[in-house]
Amino acid sequence: MDPLRSYLGRLLLEEITPVVMVLTTPLAEAACRKSGLSVVDMLSPFSLFKKIDGDSPPRCSPLPIICPCGRRVTSPYRLQMFKIRMVYASDVRKQDYEVADQRIKPVVSEANESALPDLLSDPPQLEDVLSKPEAELCPLWIKKFNRALMRTLSFSEHETFDHPVACLLVVSSKDNEPISKFVDLFNTNQLPSLLNEGIMDPQILKHYLILHDQQDGPQEIAMNILAEMKSTLGLNDCKLLCINSSTEADGADAENSWLPYIKDFMQDLASNHIIPYMEQKIRVLNQQVATTRKGFRNQIKNLWYTFTSIESQIRVLGDYAFMLRDYELALSNYRLLSTDYKLDKAWKRFAGVQEMSGLCYFMLDQSRKDAEYCMDSAFSTYLRIGSSGKRNATRCGIWWAEMLKTRGQYREASSVYYRVSNEEPSLHSAVLLEQAACCYVLSKPPMLRKYGFHLVLAGNSYYISDQKQHAVRAYRNALFVYKQHPWSYINDHVHFNVGRWYGVLGIFDVAIKHLLEVIACSHQSLTTQSMFLNDFFHFVQSMGKKFDVYKLQLPVINMPSLRVIYEDHRTYASDADVNVSESIWQELEEEMIPSSSIVRTNWLEKSPDLRKYKDSCVCVVGEAVKVRIELRNPLQIPVAVSCISLICQLSTSLDASSAVNSVLTTGAGEDIANTKPAISIFEDDGNNFTVSKLDIVLGGSETKSVQLEVTPKVEGILKLHGIRWTLSDLLVGYQYFEFDTKRKTKKGKKGPRRTLSNTLIVIKGLPKLTGCIDHLPTNAFAGDLRLLKLNLRNQSEYAVKNIKMKLSHPRFVIPGDLSEVDFEFPQCLRKHVQSEISTVSTKRTQGDAKGLLFTFSQDIKIQEGATFSWPIWFHAATPGNFSLYISLYYEMESPSEITYRTLRMHYNIEVFSSLNVSFAIRMCSSRLKEYIVRMDILNRTPSESFILHQLSCNDSKWAISSLPLCDSIRSIETVSANQSVSCFFKIKDLGTNSCKEAENSSCRSDMLFLSREGNSNTEEFDVSQSPITNFHYQERYQQGRLAKGPRDLLDFILISKAVGGNYSKSDPDVQLLSHHVCHCSAIDQSPIWWFMEGPRTVTHDFSKSYCEANIQLVIHNSVQHNISARVVTYDSVPDKSQTVNLQDSNSNQGGWYDVSLENDIKAISTAKGTHYQKQPSESISPFVWCSLSSAQVDLKPDTSTKVPLKVCIFMPGTYNLSNYQLQWKVHSSEVGQVDENQRSGGGQGHPFYVTVLQDA
Amino acid sequence: MASTACFVIVSKNDIPIYEAEVGSAPKREDQAYQHQFILHAALDVVQDLAWATNTMFLKSVDRFDDLVVSVYVTAGHTRFMLLHDSRSEDGIKSFFQEVHELYIKIFLNPLYLPGSRITSSHFDTKVRALARKYL
Repeated sequence: MDPLRSYLGRLLLEEITPVVMVLTTPLAEAACRKSGLSVVDMLSPFSLFKKIDGDSPPRCSPLPIICPCGRRVTSPYRLQMFKIRMVYASDVRKQDYEVADQRIKPVVSEANESALPDLLSDPPQLEDVLSKPEAELCPLWIKKFNRALMRTLSFSEHETFDHPVACLLVVSSKDNEPISKFVDLFNTNQLPSLLNEGIMDPQILKHYLILHDQQDGPQEIAMNILAEMKSTLGLNDCKLLCINSSTEADGADAENSWLPYIKDFMQDLASNHIIPYMEQKIRVLNQQVATTRKGFRNQIKNLWYTFTSIESQIRVLGDYAFMLRDYELALSNYRLLSTDYKLDKAWKRFAGVQEMSGLCYFMLDQSRKDAEYCMDSAFSTYLRIGSSGKRNATRCGIWWAEMLKTRGQYREASSVYYRVSNEEPSLHSAVLLEQAACCYVLSKPPMLRKYGFHLVLAGNSYYISDQKQHAVRAYRNALFVYKQHPWSYINDHVHFNVGRWYGVLGIFDVAIKHLLEVIACSHQSLTTQSMFLNDFFHFVQSMGKKFDVYKLQLPVINMPSLRVIYEDHRTYASDADVNVSESIWQELEEEMIPSSSIVRTNWLEKSPDLRKYKDSCVCVVGEAVKVRIELRNPLQIPVAVSCISLICQLSTSLDASSAVNSVLTTGAGEDIANTKPAISIFEDDGNNFTVSKLDIVLGGSETKSVQLEVTPKVEGILKLHGIRWTLSDLLVGYQYFEFDTKRKTKKGKKGPRRTLSNTLIVIKGLPKLTGCIDHLPTNAFAGDLRLLKLNLRNQSEYAVKNIKMKLSHPRFVIPGDLSEVDFEFPQCLRKHVQSEISTVSTKRTQGDAKGLLFTFSQDIKIQEGATFSWPIWFHAATPGNFSLYISLYYEMESPSEITYRTLRMHYNIEVFSSLNVSFAIRMCSSRLKEYIVRMDILNRTPSESFILHQLSCNDSKWAISSLPLCDSIRSIETVSANQSVSCFFKIKDLGTNSCKEAENSSCRSDMLFLSREGNSNTEEFDVSQSPITNFHYQERYQQGRLAKGPRDLLDFILISKAVGGNYSKSDPDVQLLSHHVCHCSAIDQSPIWWFMEGPRTVTHDFSKSYCEANIQLVIHNSVQHNISARVVTYDSVPDKSQTVNLQDSNSNQGGWYDVSLENDIKAISTAKGTHYQKQPSESISPFVWCSLSSAQVDLKPDTSTKVPLKVCIFMPGTYNLSNYQLQWKVHSSEVGQVDENQRSGGGQGHPFYVTVLQDA
Repeated sequence: MASTACFVIVSKNDIPIYEAEVGSAPKREDQAYQHQFILHAALDVVQDLAWATNTMFLKSVDRFDDLVVSVYVTAGHTRFMLLHDSRSEDGIKSFFQEVHELYIKIFLNPLYLPGSRITSSHFDTKVRALARKYL
């Protein structure tokens, strides 16, 4: 690219030009002022000369062919363009920086106003920026600014291209004695300091001009003065210029007729005086320099350069050559100078010279490297000398950057701009940074991120220097760079600042748009968040009206949490029950409700129009459809959210609704959001439905689940569109629900409950029951028994009938009888004297694993507005966490679209363990049909105490009594926390025909524990009555599933009461606990019972003979089969240790062991005579069986037989006659009816002690 | 002297997936975005340089005033960027290499979706420990 055609080239041609100093008299100024101009203003437009065409007429190409350089023979050339700068003498001085900067400011501020309309349009996009031509990338005023910035450096001391080349003295023809005025004008006192202080040569070219306004008189006066001037001041240097200040008459042509005169004058001045003068000066100086430099180097170091110094003269030579485009000459001189200045350490001058060398290189389009090197060294040298060089560095930088831009080195140019911007006040730096940013876009490939960053930097600087429009402009130009990338802090910063500044400029809507992007910034600190929010609210308030914001981010709506809760034929006791899986309910209700397909067709067949809504959900007029959704506050600041409500639409006529529906469904879900139907349509539809409004305050980072309701008032199609809310009473946010169609179909198979469909069919009002179980505990101790009440209420206008109830856990909850509704608990459980034996109704015992179906009697109807109570028994059967599901079915009295409804209740109960009760039963070895029972009770609670109240058997054929000698165990009454208690008692099988015996109070199936005070516990509970027997049935069933084997004997029911302890104090309802232990069996149960009968004490005179004792073995068959039993006696003493081991292996529970009387034997023996003592140790048995060694008997079912036995005893003592065995075999009529283990077996004899005393 | 060091891992689609201020200078709110700006702008330079060299460690690629941006590019074009004011190039290189190993471990996690944010607190602790060691 030709350097002269480049921007920098033109800049240099226009800016580095000869200066003509203008001196005027006040009258001359006044003459011009009539036309509204100053003298300089008048002349300046004609100071630019262009060669229009190579073959142009002389007038148009005034510039002479020059050959300035005498030293070298170069071909003369024609100046393509030439400009003279006209400057008042008073302005020829170095400007104060601050004043100069003040002058630049309007350049920027003017552009402010033009920028404003742009700010209202959309910010530019990537394509816009890349497609823009280079010239438009930066605003045009920036070039103007650059020039203005450079001009602040004019008339510096170390550069001479600003030094006036000529002096134009202007005197008006009205002045008295014009000649002397000319002399006065060039009075040294008024001349600029540059000339006075010897920095530049005062001997400059002078040109005299007499100004004549034709309105002031005939031209002859001026002609006379001119003639006089020419004679006095010199022939060639004097000119007359006629102007016409008249504004009227003569027309436009006449008015402008004097303009060509000025043009001619200026051309004459330039081509005939200034250029020749400069050429002349170049020749002289060149000569001078050549001679001076040839002989010797200037060794004298000058700290003060005057115009006479050789360095200054070389500089003048270089600058003149530069202005006349002889860059080679200029460059050689500059290089000459640079070494000198460097040696002299005159850094500023050195830098100035380097700068010019760089420009020369550029204009010559020679070595780029050299050019850059020169600019670089000039730039850094200026920076090094401190504050005085800063602005020079800036100018140098701008030139340098322009140079780089011309050569396409945009990246380097932008870094130069950036370096320059650091040295300038904020306003200037902003403009420079903006140029740097533009360079990044122009570089190949475009560096957009750098572009954005520098624009942001520029915007910041603009803002600091109070240029908000420009700041906004810079930021919004950068927006597209940061649009896609989630660099959180960057996004926040850009949007916040753009928003804030728009707000300051009063463009609130755009401000709010940008601030909306940042108000939900969860990653920022608390202070930043509150700052963002405050500014946002401030601008929203300034808007002065509420407005709607789509997808407002505050609070964040958690769409996946959306749940639509509606009630068709399924109703719920509480909202929490809806979360229960539909399959649980369906399984529970399986037997109770009619087949669902029948129900569906019933109401769908009626209206074919509705068929397309087959998959839609159904809701009922007057019943609220609830929508639950989570709101999250992303900020750490609490925010007030009010008027949260649903956006709904209820179309009553099917045609209209289908039309809307088709519109909404054909467009994808996205389209609904994009088209954003006005919310106002849905808002005031109070006739058709009502929506609830909810106000909440979300704390910092809090998430709340809200439940919104819409209650349809008429039949039709209800659509749920979205949610709207008011934030801090200032603005309304709204968001549409995203109903995922895929999910809908998927879920639809499972059950219609949670399909995310936004369309609901509203049908005619239906009766509806609401209800709950009062006081159902959420936690209880195992065994807790309570009477509760199921309360039902019919809120609708129609009666309901045919009520059924299904319970999931009949072990825990059992419906009572209507007669029990007024009972007082627990008194109602007491045994009444005339207690009618209530037969357990068959309907209640249908309970199985799936639950219990309870049908209320047919004549129970709940009328409109009526309440209905039903007793419910609760028993905390076993420890653990349980979910009780109760479903209530009812039918409509009046015909309706839905024939039945269900009310679903769900309760969670946690049951703590209280008493662990276990029983161990042994057959009594001395009585028939009697058992010894040990009851172990362990209190598992940490702090509770229980009073044992009553122990009962499930069957009246059993009688419980305390052991005869251990009556004291009945006084065990209180089991405190963590205590373990064992007590013993016996039970007796009274048989089936023992009712008479049962009436005997001593033999009862219930045993009361005595209270400590001794007064008998009169509260005896009837376990054969409802509900204990019902619960017992359930327990029996449940425990039977766990129990192995059929050897169960009987069930125990332990009733206890809670006293004291933390829990029961706080909850006095805990009164009664019943523990059911079922399927207890004896440890060593066998089909036959046997025991010895005979005298316990025998007195015999051993001196005469041995003693014979007659005893009998009683054998009883307790099973329903024939048994053959064989008794085998043997004389050896049974091995004691073996027996003990046997006992241990049978049951190693504490408390059970064989009480050996061997010690007692010893004691007696010792008392009676020591000589008998040795006998037991010998192997000879002290007694022998006689009569038989083996006997076989056959036993019919439930019969007893006696086998007579005889034993011969040889010496006095106490003998254990247990050395016999019983072997038995069951003769079963049906194979497999008896367990294989029990088919045959055997047993050791029970201990039977006989004491034989020596007859005295 | 308090040093500034801001470490960022940028995924190959220019999204920051891990950010940590690891310098000893107390964190300042206004610096957070400035650091992001500098690092974000430096991506332009990295884009050029990454394809011009074989090494992963690109040394210092960009500077802003007295803050230097050093970059390490993994084979998958994930960029580790460190904005710092200290000059120890060797330390930075070692830091990057060790972080690369940690990053690979994160990458091996089958539950980690490449290009998603690294939320592992273990990774965070390790990176900060490395920063104390080398920077």
